Amino acid sequence: MRSLLLQIAATIKINLKSLPQRFWLSLSTVVAVGLVVVVLLSFLAMANGFRQAVKGSGSEDIAIVLRGGSRSELNSTISRDQIRLIEEAPGVARNAEGKPLVSAELYLVVDGLKRATGTKANLPLRGIGPMGAALRKSITLAQGRMFEPGSNEIVVGKGLLAEYRGFELGSTVKFGTTRWTVVGVFEAGGSVFESEIWADLPVVQSLFNRTNFFQTVRARLTGPQAIAALKRYNDEDPRLKLDVKTENEYFADQSSNTTDLIQKLGWPLAIAMAFGALAGALNTMYSSVAARTVEIATLRAIGFGAFPAFVGTLVESLVLSALGGVLGAGATFVFFHGLTASTLGESFTQVVFSFTLTPALALQGIVLALVVGLVGGLFPAIRAARLPIVAGLQG
Amino acid sequence: MTDVSLIARNLFRKKLRAALMIVSIMTAFLIFGVLVAFEHAFNAGEDLAAADRLMVVNKINFTQPLPYAYYERVKAVEGVRQVSHANWFGGYYQEPKNFLIVLAVEPESYLKIYDRELDVPDDARRAFLSERTGALVGEALAQDKGWKVGDRLPVSSTIYSQKNGGHVWEMTVVGIAKPAKPHIDSNFIVFHYDYFNETRSFGKDMIGWLVLTTTSPAVNDKVAKTVDAMFANSTAETATDTEKAFNKAFAAQFGNIALIVKLVVGAAFVTILMIVGNTMAMAVRERVREIAVLKTLGFPPARILRLILGESLLLALLGGLPGIGLAALAVAALREKLLNFIPGMVMTPDIAVLAVVLMLGLGLVTGIIPAFSAMRLNIASALGRS
Amino acid sequence: MTSDDVLVRLTAVDKRFTKSKETITIFEKLDLAIASGDFIAVMGPSGSGKTTLLNLLGGIDRPSAGEIRFAGERIDGLPESRLAHWRAGHIGFIFQFYNLMPMLTAAQNVELPLLLTSLGGKDRRRRVEAALAVVNLADRARHYPREMSGGQQQRVAIARAVVADPGLLLCDEPTGDLDRSNADEILEVLRLLNREMGKTIVMVTHDPAAAKYAKRTLHLDKGRFSERDLAA
Repeated sequence: MRSLLLQIAATIKINLKSLPQRFWLSLSTVVAVGLVVVVLLSFLAMANGFRQAVKGSGSEDIAIVLRGGSRSELNSTISRDQIRLIEEAPGVARNAEGKPLVSAELYLVVDGLKRATGTKANLPLRGIGPMGAALRKSITLAQGRMFEPGSNEIVVGKGLLAEYRGFELGSTVKFGTTRWTVVGVFEAGGSVFESEIWADLPVVQSLFNRTNFFQTVRARLTGPQAIAALKRYNDEDPRLKLDVKTENEYFADQSSNTTDLIQKLGWPLAIAMAFGALAGALNTMYSSVAARTVEIATLRAIGFGAFPAFVGTLVESLVLSALGGVLGAGATFVFFHGLTASTLGESFTQVVFSFTLTPALALQGIVLALVVGLVGGLFPAIRAARLPIVAGLQG
Repeated sequence: MTDVSLIARNLFRKKLRAALMIVSIMTAFLIFGVLVAFEHAFNAGEDLAAADRLMVVNKINFTQPLPYAYYERVKAVEGVRQVSHANWFGGYYQEPKNFLIVLAVEPESYLKIYDRELDVPDDARRAFLSERTGALVGEALAQDKGWKVGDRLPVSSTIYSQKNGGHVWEMTVVGIAKPAKPHIDSNFIVFHYDYFNETRSFGKDMIGWLVLTTTSPAVNDKVAKTVDAMFANSTAETATDTEKAFNKAFAAQFGNIALIVKLVVGAAFVTILMIVGNTMAMAVRERVREIAVLKTLGFPPARILRLILGESLLLALLGGLPGIGLAALAVAALREKLLNFIPGMVMTPDIAVLAVVLMLGLGLVTGIIPAFSAMRLNIASALGRS
Repeated sequence: MTSDDVLVRLTAVDKRFTKSKETITIFEKLDLAIASGDFIAVMGPSGSGKTTLLNLLGGIDRPSAGEIRFAGERIDGLPESRLAHWRAGHIGFIFQFYNLMPMLTAAQNVELPLLLTSLGGKDRRRRVEAALAVVNLADRARHYPREMSGGQQQRVAIARAVVADPGLLLCDEPTGDLDRSNADEILEVLRLLNREMGKTIVMVTHDPAAAKYAKRTLHLDKGRFSERDLAA
């Protein structure tokens, strides 16, 4: 046993020491594997960043009410009567004065110019009532103040300000013929709300010709379990027949399509590229075995076993691919992690998010690299083990 | 024997190595073909937009409505040949997840404006114009769902409600519209605006957008300015732009797809450049003696250069051509699956031509350095090595 | 010897190599004339310049000074591509280790020099068959080098050297890797080529028995021919 271990250690050493002789070929394998990992991880970090932004936006104890079958806030319409019914619903929390914690809202799309490209993009303008801000978790004003009710003032999310032109504090923004002043910038923990513009509901209704028009209702629940009572109340009243969900559920739905799509693009691409890199790894390792024919045969002639020859080659391959995997993960972290991007979300408006590479994702990339190294080393290692000693010695 | 067979013999003397190189080149071109077809389809709206077609949308955003009266007023603008209008319906079939692209349109003018893109048989056209609840279904959608002329479709809306509170509009399939070119999207339903407008519970006499053709692309700017000026300072100001610019801006909202495609294709090509380039260099190093013998036999330097370059070019083509072929198959298979997301994904001849150019480039780049070193090889010292 | 009979003439040829700052002189003011139809064995110790002499004669190496004329024309100053063309037409090389292409059959190896001519496929095949017949290997045309003995491989190499009908054959230790009987077979073929087909042959060898097949022997030592062998 001890002898076998010593033999293995010796062959691994010989393999690794001979690496500089095949420097460029070995480097090309490392780079090829690294690029596979970069492609995979940048897609996964993109999907993850988007999911964190959208999915992380919801709360368990906030209910969101939409028209039946409307799927997103933009499509939904809700009547004033229905709002009144929800305000009286069981499970809806009330404040100290006994007023229900409910916010009826209007969700419109307005044009903004993307800083990076100068192209028009759909931005959400949300008309909210006095309860609106309180119904989102962790909203803080980073600059300025909240809009005054009844005035045409807006507050904008931090992400929106970063990605789109003209929303700096104090500036005037024109939507059609209406003019608005930016009086505040808010943070919302990186959630989708940071990609939104908020204004006073009655002002938005009147300036956009949507008097008495509401799209969604948010309600604070007395607790996460209260959603069941609210759902039952909605199902039993024929005047409602609305879609009632917790905000958590709603945003999970909103993120799943885009996240799935990005992952479904990233994995097949990375796997296809992995086949290309695998061909390169096999080629490198077969060359390594060919270059070491005499050494392997010499070791075999003086009594080394076939197994150490096998292990030495396999370890060389795994070392190269692990190096590629780690470099790829590192490069993804350096070049992509934290990169801000935006795309059209399910609500037909831009969602600003940042690429987020987690250790768990990086591990997936390194595992893919090691799979390439394992397969790429296995067959050459078998050849090394089966090398005929006499022919090998003749060179 | 010819030079080509000599090149092929050289390439395949190590069959496994050649096969591995071919596989790695093949995957790079597979990735290239699929991604570029994807990107082309994604930006097809921009490429296929007619030069003389303009979109008139609400200046706030294209999702904001315009008054119906604008339709008549824009018709009268000088330089306007035809005008039609459309309204996004937010359609779905039975379940909200079965999302459909449904537009409520003014039938006669709509078909005229999209005459070059859509191939609608005469009887279908007549039936569509005369049947108030008739719907014209695009070929791709009809095939996907198995719908035929005469079928009654209950189409629901995520946005609109009927006056009676329901969300479902009953329609009859009166015809199938075929795309006139392969890139054109035919994953849609169009139905009568009048039917829609009279039955919906809100938004009456509003339309989504206007689409118009001008008498010539030269007057586009003038028409756009006239239309926008006409509605300036009204409650619904307009933004008029070419269909091309509109489609381009819309596609850009999803993100910089072109950049992503370039980065991934770039990564795939860097990989094969390194792998194939190094392998070619290694193959030539292993053969210095043979190359020296060929030179001794009187093969001139240029011929040696051609033999090595020929080898790397042959390798690139042997990997690249099946790769782009596989890409064509993959694109055909993905076409159905991505119907709702990216309609009209096809492998076009220009993608294939670009691929062949890249193959030649790859062959030259990976072969040029080994070929030059082979050409410059000193016979006496190369033969001296044993 | 009249100048008409001289196939190759070296006049005052110098050959020096620079190896890590040190200059090694192989030849200094070397003169040599080789008559058309001659068969010369060149003998001498290692490092005496035998292979360099063959390389100079075959135009795969250039003299540092002096001139080399082939059939009256100077070849030492020709550019590489002209030189290659000249080699293809006038010189046949035979090496100690055969130097056949491993991925080509015997016939394809022999055909290689004909790819440089304007001959069509049919003519090329006829020439290859004839060349293989001369070396008694007509039945091995479709065999690969690895399927043949050393003697057979060397005969393929000879067929390759003569297939384009060059005037001068340059042989570098052609029997150095062969046993006696195989070596004798090869030398018989060379003698035949010299006598029957009029090929001029210069053969470098260590083997005195091989040298006996030649018409005359030159002894090369420290870059000079021994006095007794110098042909005027």
